[in-house]
Amino acid sequence: MKQISLNINNKFYNILVDEHELLSNVIREKIGLTGTKIGCEQGSCGACTVLVNNKAVLSCITPAISCDKAEITTIEALAENGKLHKLQKKFVEKGAIQCGFCTPGMVMTAINLVPELNKNDSPEKLRQQIKEGISGNLCRCTGYKKIIDAIVEYTLDESYKQEDSKFNSIKKLKTVGIPRPYIEAESKVKGEAEFADDIYIKNSLHCKFLRSIYPHAEIIEIDTSEAYKIKGVRYIAIGNELPITFGVLPISQDENAIAIKKVRYVGEIVAAVAADTEEIAAKACQLIKVKYNPIKEFLTIDESLADAGENEKIHEYGKFNNNIQKKAELRFGDQQQGFKDSEITSRMSFEFEGINHGFTEPHASTAFWDENGLTINTATQVPHYLHRALAKVLEVPLSRVRVIKPYIGGGFGGKSDPFAHEIIVAYLSRKTGKPVKVRLSREEVFLTNHGRHPTKMTVEMGFSNDGIIQALDADVAIDGGAYGSFGVVTTYYNGVLLQAPYKLSNFGFRTYRVYTNKPQCGAMRGHGAVNSRFAVESIIDEISYKIKIDPCELRMKNFLDSNTLTVGQYRITSNGSRESLQKVMDLSDWKNRFGKLEKGHGLGVACGFFISGSALPIFWNELPQSVVHLKLDFDGRVLISSGSSDIGQGSDTMLAIIVSEVLGISMENIFVLAGDTLLTPVDFGSYSSRVTFMAGNAAKDATENLKKEIIASVANQKHAIGKELNFENDRIFTNDKSVDLSWMEAVEILTAKRGAVSVSGKYISPKLGGDFKGAGAGLSPSYSFGACVTEVKVDLETGQVDVINIWGAHDCGKAINPLAVEGQLEGSWHMGMGQAVSEQMKYYKGLLLNNNFLDYKIPTSLDTPDINSNIIETMDPEGPFGAKESGEGAIHPVIPAIANAVYNAVGVRITKLPICAEDILTKISQNDLLNNKIIQ
Amino acid sequence: MTNEKKYIKTSTIADAISEAIKNSNSFRFVAGGTDIFPNKFQENDTSDCFIDIADIEELKQITYTKDYLNIGALTTLETLKNNEFIAQNFPTLLEAANSVASPVIRKSATLGGNLLCENRCHFYNQSAWWRQAAGHCLKCGGDICLANGGKKYCFSKFVSDTAIALISFNAKIEIVSPEKTEFLYLEEIYSGDGIQHLLLEKSSIIKSIQIPLNIIYKSVFKKLQQRKSLEFSSLTTCITVFKDNKIKIVAGAIAPKPIFVVGALKDDFSELITSIAKNSKIVENDSYSRVYRKNMIRVLLNRSIKEIQLTEK
Ligand SMILES: Cc1cc2nc3c(=O)[nH]c(=O)nc-3n(C[C@H](O)[C@H](O)[C@H](O)COP(=O)(O)OP(=O)(O)OC[C@H]3O[C@@H](n4cnc5c(N)ncnc54)[C@H](O)[C@@H]3O)c2cc1C
Ligand code: SF4
Ligand code: FES
Ligand code: FES
Repeated sequence: MKQISLNINNKFYNILVDEHELLSNVIREKIGLTGTKIGCEQGSCGACTVLVNNKAVLSCITPAISCDKAEITTIEALAENGKLHKLQKKFVEKGAIQCGFCTPGMVMTAINLVPELNKNDSPEKLRQQIKEGISGNLCRCTGYKKIIDAIVEYTLDESYKQEDSKFNSIKKLKTVGIPRPYIEAESKVKGEAEFADDIYIKNSLHCKFLRSIYPHAEIIEIDTSEAYKIKGVRYIAIGNELPITFGVLPISQDENAIAIKKVRYVGEIVAAVAADTEEIAAKACQLIKVKYNPIKEFLTIDESLADAGENEKIHEYGKFNNNIQKKAELRFGDQQQGFKDSEITSRMSFEFEGINHGFTEPHASTAFWDENGLTINTATQVPHYLHRALAKVLEVPLSRVRVIKPYIGGGFGGKSDPFAHEIIVAYLSRKTGKPVKVRLSREEVFLTNHGRHPTKMTVEMGFSNDGIIQALDADVAIDGGAYGSFGVVTTYYNGVLLQAPYKLSNFGFRTYRVYTNKPQCGAMRGHGAVNSRFAVESIIDEISYKIKIDPCELRMKNFLDSNTLTVGQYRITSNGSRESLQKVMDLSDWKNRFGKLEKGHGLGVACGFFISGSALPIFWNELPQSVVHLKLDFDGRVLISSGSSDIGQGSDTMLAIIVSEVLGISMENIFVLAGDTLLTPVDFGSYSSRVTFMAGNAAKDATENLKKEIIASVANQKHAIGKELNFENDRIFTNDKSVDLSWMEAVEILTAKRGAVSVSGKYISPKLGGDFKGAGAGLSPSYSFGACVTEVKVDLETGQVDVINIWGAHDCGKAINPLAVEGQLEGSWHMGMGQAVSEQMKYYKGLLLNNNFLDYKIPTSLDTPDINSNIIETMDPEGPFGAKESGEGAIHPVIPAIANAVYNAVGVRITKLPICAEDILTKISQNDLLNNKIIQ
Repeated sequence: MTNEKKYIKTSTIADAISEAIKNSNSFRFVAGGTDIFPNKFQENDTSDCFIDIADIEELKQITYTKDYLNIGALTTLETLKNNEFIAQNFPTLLEAANSVASPVIRKSATLGGNLLCENRCHFYNQSAWWRQAAGHCLKCGGDICLANGGKKYCFSKFVSDTAIALISFNAKIEIVSPEKTEFLYLEEIYSGDGIQHLLLEKSSIIKSIQIPLNIIYKSVFKKLQQRKSLEFSSLTTCITVFKDNKIKIVAGAIAPKPIFVVGALKDDFSELITSIAKNSKIVENDSYSRVYRKNMIRVLLNRSIKEIQLTEK
């Protein structure tokens, strides 16, 4: 230990540090300034950026002692006397903050960057300088565009025409459809918002895991005796202490918190240590001795399809003699006839690598027990399912489990299952009588995975010569990894979610999911349909060239209408496919440019659709899908309590906007309490793009109930006719002003002799769908639609693909908060671009090779074009104020649009993702199309 | 077995060297630390003692005479960018420097540190747990190379981008060791052994990099990388044509050390490239395949020479 003195944010600290301690640790753990985030610990994400002597450094790779006597500035210092720094203000206003986990690092990087910029450069060049400057800071939510906007505006400051009209209006108008920063944006940009790892509960022990080094092996013996000898080790848990299985779906409760008897992937938890410090716990893990007996491993879909010996199966149960977990098959119309009627068919096979969510905030949880039972603070998208899983595995009544969701640094599906680490810390805490905290390293996050399934599929489509789809058939195999997760749903989605946005009469699929000895796969943005959508959009593209119909036109011909049923009996209500496609055609100048670009330069198009919440609950029960409570008290404040989880997508803000709209009151009167299973009513959480539609509707319902109460009491007191009362601008009045009350006056009337008023609202999906087996998969009260055109340049000698433009349009029904919707869209398109061109999970003998942000290649700001995002509004009849989803569906079209653009550029049909430069090169050389200059 | 952990700050070269001698068991000099600390996080660097040289002023000067430009080893990659003289005379050095890591990292990363940064490999740059699970390879004490199954040689790739440019300029480095100060051609300090890729004596300090002036006609730098930022090289090349019509081609990330060839402008360029490709030792240890990287040698170099010829016209 060594004493150093640091001036952090103008406060002087004399502090003892370990010789090799890193600055990030001192700042966060010793000083408690948790605004500085840890995303990777290896210098490859930028979340930990702080200033040392006014120079931006990555605090996770900077030794603390090297900063002795230095002046250190962290995000917490930027706001002076609580007033946001101008740059922070720009971040807030521009919507540059979603989950907010990358924000502190991004702001610190930018603050250091701006003085270095050449402000006299042209606007494009200035943007380029900024893109370059922040290119070491990864953001998974925003697609960087709004971040760059914020920095540009700050840089140009006064000289730039400030706020474009959009934001001036915020203060005046408070209503649905006004772009608005998240209500919590300020606390995020100040570094005050607490994420799971920022929460420290007094006396906490720290937990570390020993993980399997075999993909598939019997556990013969675990010896913890040496590990227990280390001072500070409080408890070591092994598998058979937690024998009850869990899983997100009731049909695949196939996971134990800690492996029992055998391990099924490299990285599976084999023992868990609770100790006084992380270092002690880690050391203890190294001293635990485990004897394994390796079993034959199954690492690919093909291996898992083959028959397995009885003791070799990854899971013993299941009716198959191999490692197939689930098969699903559905057929509609007459596919055979459909193909017979087709004048042209195309059948293509595709392969997709697994993808990880790449949220910037690693998982973290702290659990403790007190007189109320268990409380866990954890990075989860779905407190409700975790609530159930904890009660089940730990055998405590549901009423003794409290799950609290703090701020979440992105989820994208990757925080929606109940996780082993959450159950383990809850258990260790019960065992030790102390709070227990765990935070996963980035490598562990990758091993926890639950990302997009590696997939192989063959899809065939038949068309008549006039371009009408006659038949579609899909045969899909997905690689689920070692456990079930959402996999059964994923299996279905890969098939059923092909039945729109195009009219199909003859359609069928067979899908199956296999277990393999790899980290499990689950739900990820665009769940289940991303890869099969890619296949279909690629085939449509292929056909369009063959029958010489413009690919946009071909799609236009086949779109489903609004207010119709699909072949599998999905009820389509609003449908903005046509408008979306038209929009991106116009913006990309498609008609004039498509087919007219030089070699290596191409345009591509694709469309998509997605569910707006699953109409059926995962756990069969009769609870409404969402319930929202409102409490209005003497102070005029409406408290919204909702079990929904804001994970950076802005759902808390959405709830507040809806309440504000219905009551005509300003947002300052509204307060959101969400994601706490003790305080908030059940909501099924943030997955399947359900929150705006379902929680939004529940909030609207609740607010209308509250409004009724207010109307009744005001009408009664003022002898007015209830129907004639208007709620606007914080007033309640009749047109003739015979009643004209301020909000507070109305509240006084309402609460007189009664006190606080609480009301409830709910959302229950209407009964939908057919009555065949599997009819429930993909049923949703509403569907979103969208389209993308992308422009690429392919380097003809290296095969590298540069995505230079993305125009996207997405029908979200009605944008309750356009700023948030744009953010969701830009984030989706950016994430899709990653899957298209650079991301993949690579394994070496079952070991994940690229388990860090250097090798798992999320596009940086320099790789990402300025995305052109367009909101299409179709006013869904059942959505709250016409709204439907915008968080996932947008990812579908962008990936095939990029691949189709590559085809347009070099005549190489992409059948494997990510697009590989090397493959392109090989195919270019074999390609006559290209050499005779392509198509059309 | 736990030895005492130390972190020592030094302010003169002499200090640093004497601390090195005192802690000769297990020490490492720290300049920007941007290569060391990620490696330490993964437990590939297990030094007990870090000797911080970042405050040594003698290592920070940029000076030039009639014949040489001298860049202090502690010059950060960012500082390079802001130096007018370098921008004018060695734009390719700036390109190389700007291709390293990310802008924030380049504020700390030093030129000297870049020249000495550790070789990389998919199977080596992993956590201790991972390497245990995979079975240790030659570079971390095991007895087999996981990339190619061999038992003798490690082919971890040489990744310094600036070294490739500097070698092509015929740069030398000034090395201060306990016994002496000497100037070596930069290429002379790389061993070609992926396990121990430097020939430098561990307790010696690089003081400066010396680049000859007025002899270069033109040079072109290229780096093959998947993303445009935050990427170690999959292949780095630099071609320098000298005023006397000599040409030096250098390539990195295709062997444990930089590969180079010297020729004359009139030589068959294709043969020069062939010689580079022949001397490359690429194994499957990168996000791009071995074959692709090998093929790209020709592509990048042909491009570079075309650019040179274009300016010639
Ligand atoms: C995300 C990320 C991406 C990166 N990308 C790249 C990249 O694209 N290309 C690349 O080349 N590098 C890259 N790096 C590695 C590293 O940042 C650079 O190589 C950097 O230039 C190293 O300089 P440093 O001063 O930080 O070196 P340090 O880490 O301080 O030192 C590196 C080595 O050099 C020795 N050393 C340093 N200075 C001296 C001296 N004067 N005398 C004697 N020994 C000395 C040290 O003892 C150590 O062995 C990356 C790192 C990260 C974290
Ligand atoms: S090349 Fe072989 S020996 Fe060298 S680091 Fe890679 S796997 Fe290990
Ligand atoms: S946490 Fe420091 S760069 Fe990622
Ligand atoms: S806002 Fe950037 S990672 Fe979430």
